[in-house]
Amino acid sequence: MSNKTQVLNVGIDLGTSRSSISSSNGQRHVVESYVGWPLDMVARKVLKKPVLIGREALDNRPMLDLYRPLEEGLIKDGSEKDEAAVRELLRHLLALAGVDREHSNGLKVRAVVGVPAEALRVNKQHVRKAMKDAADSLMIVSEPFAVAYGLEALLHTMIIDIGAGTTDFCVMNGRLPTEDDQRTLTQAGDFVDEQLVRLVREHHPQAHFSIHMVRGWKEESSFVGEPRSPVLVTVPVNGKPTSIDITQEMRQACESILPSLVESMLDLLSRVQPEFQEKVRQNVILSGGTGLIRGLGPRLEQELRAVGGGRVTVVKDPVYVGSDGGLAIAQDAPDSDWEKLTA
Amino acid sequence: MANDRLKRRLLRELVRENVDLIQGGPARRLRRQHRARQVARLCVLALLPLGLLGSSRLLSTLAADRSSAAGTPAALAATAGPVRASSAFSPAGPQQAALMLASTSQRLPEPRPIDASLFPLAVRKVMIDPGHGGMSVGTGTSGLVEKNLTLDIAERLRRILAQRSFTVLMTREEDRPVALADRAALANRAGADIFVSIHLNWIEDRTARGVETYYLGPTDDPYLTQLAAAENRDSGYSMADLRGILDGIYAGVREDNSRRLAESVQASLFRSLRKTAPEVTDRGVKAAPFIVLLSTEMPAILAEVSCLSNEEEARQLARPEYRQHIAEALANGIGAYADSTARSGEKGI
Repeated sequence: MSNKTQVLNVGIDLGTSRSSISSSNGQRHVVESYVGWPLDMVARKVLKKPVLIGREALDNRPMLDLYRPLEEGLIKDGSEKDEAAVRELLRHLLALAGVDREHSNGLKVRAVVGVPAEALRVNKQHVRKAMKDAADSLMIVSEPFAVAYGLEALLHTMIIDIGAGTTDFCVMNGRLPTEDDQRTLTQAGDFVDEQLVRLVREHHPQAHFSIHMVRGWKEESSFVGEPRSPVLVTVPVNGKPTSIDITQEMRQACESILPSLVESMLDLLSRVQPEFQEKVRQNVILSGGTGLIRGLGPRLEQELRAVGGGRVTVVKDPVYVGSDGGLAIAQDAPDSDWEKLTA
Repeated sequence: MANDRLKRRLLRELVRENVDLIQGGPARRLRRQHRARQVARLCVLALLPLGLLGSSRLLSTLAADRSSAAGTPAALAATAGPVRASSAFSPAGPQQAALMLASTSQRLPEPRPIDASLFPLAVRKVMIDPGHGGMSVGTGTSGLVEKNLTLDIAERLRRILAQRSFTVLMTREEDRPVALADRAALANRAGADIFVSIHLNWIEDRTARGVETYYLGPTDDPYLTQLAAAENRDSGYSMADLRGILDGIYAGVREDNSRRLAESVQASLFRSLRKTAPEVTDRGVKAAPFIVLLSTEMPAILAEVSCLSNEEEARQLARPEYRQHIAEALANGIGAYADSTARSGEKGI
């Protein structure tokens, strides 16, 4: 029998909309980044849980004090409740991966958590605080770096990771990305949702819908360029379920992120050493949930033609690519390094 | 192989960056900038005394130049400001001390709760009775239980009434059993001015929904007799016992005031809830022999604030906003009754 303490490595992508975990025991889970506490005694009795996470929290939102604790990819600053919500979310993710801190079985947890590329030190400290007691050792990495590491795309690559809260750019040139190699934009999935809400409200003032319905429509039918088929959704109009056509609104909302996206992509490319620019252009990787907008890759390729052409690849598994990258980092880091990184 | 070397190097840099984060120092790649900033700061500090020396010389030269113009009105006005300002900081008297306090600390006294006795209300102390509790769960459907809902509404009502300067007491503040007679005894001992018991209705006809309010009185209505029997189940009295007791009590001013309180609460409940749920019906003010009302020594009512037997009502009751709405309606009804008794100069007993 071995005396060696068992180690569980985990990679966590703490996202504004969804958070995922990949762990060395083969478990992979994703939850919507919502945390809710029952509003009152009746809700507590009905729900029979002190706190609800993810889809369960969303489904029971009328009875909950509901939090989406990450904003623009970061823990909201200043609210104790938001910090508590992040703690609950992290604990939930770890529990899904088989970590039970309260009934510890001697398992040592080493976690790598991804944060937006331009996260400030104070934001990283917030993550450290939230992870205290949840893991034994902790490493914080830029999310696009975790993606690049997971895909082994470490040289002459540009990662564009479009999540809900932020769009992160990162040029990998064989060194740990510096501020000059990275960009973070706040035009991402949430921005598309806001535009879609505004446009549908403008064109269909009688329609009743919520932001959660709009997110669902976007996940089903988002696109840029030409539509494959009309986007029809059912909403109550004066209490009566009515089908409305939101094809144009969907296109306009999805294309609203293009100007800043293209500008940042071309700007970062122009800063790459001239002899490597061609290689990086041919190696643009699109990841993140919002990166799945249909037609986005070809549209970016179209924009790259103006600077000599390039190739954009959409990752196959955008939900887990960040957490898988974090797990790869956790597994590759030597034990001696982990000892320096106590949570 | 080359990729492995690259990975190792990247990991080393990543670990170094995280160690910096733990130690709280600036990131390694920012240290050069940080050091440059520190050097700049030291230079400024070193040059500061020289700068001050130079500027004091300059000021004294300017003062000498201006001394010839010191007797002019403009010069006097310019010097008056600082003189007044310095006198304000001398301990010259209470007025100035007060001014100093106001201008320096700008602190206001802590807010204090208003003493309810300052207001000429005939009804000041309200005993709220959340129906059921503990093993006595009341009615229930789809995860909603009467004992929990009544406690929640009662707590909301307590907060609203307290804000309106009433003294508010409750027969229970948690999920525990309280005997019906004990609820009345609590109200009597506390000297409550009115007693309001909160319940939820269950009607066999599941389509029926509405509000009704009871006060203590005789009834020949078989439905009300059955309802009272159900609510009195835990009291130890049979309906026959009650009839005997009640015969001697019904007449008198307490019954009249209880009826007026019931009317006020019922009107407010119906008026208010109809706005949110137009299908809610006014099931009226009724007299019935509820044991919890029997032993009270003050005007007492029992309000059936909603019907749990109705699916739509149950759905509404799951919403905190609806329960808040009920509590506000109850508070408005109690307030209207309190106002009317204050105007007529009665204590309400």
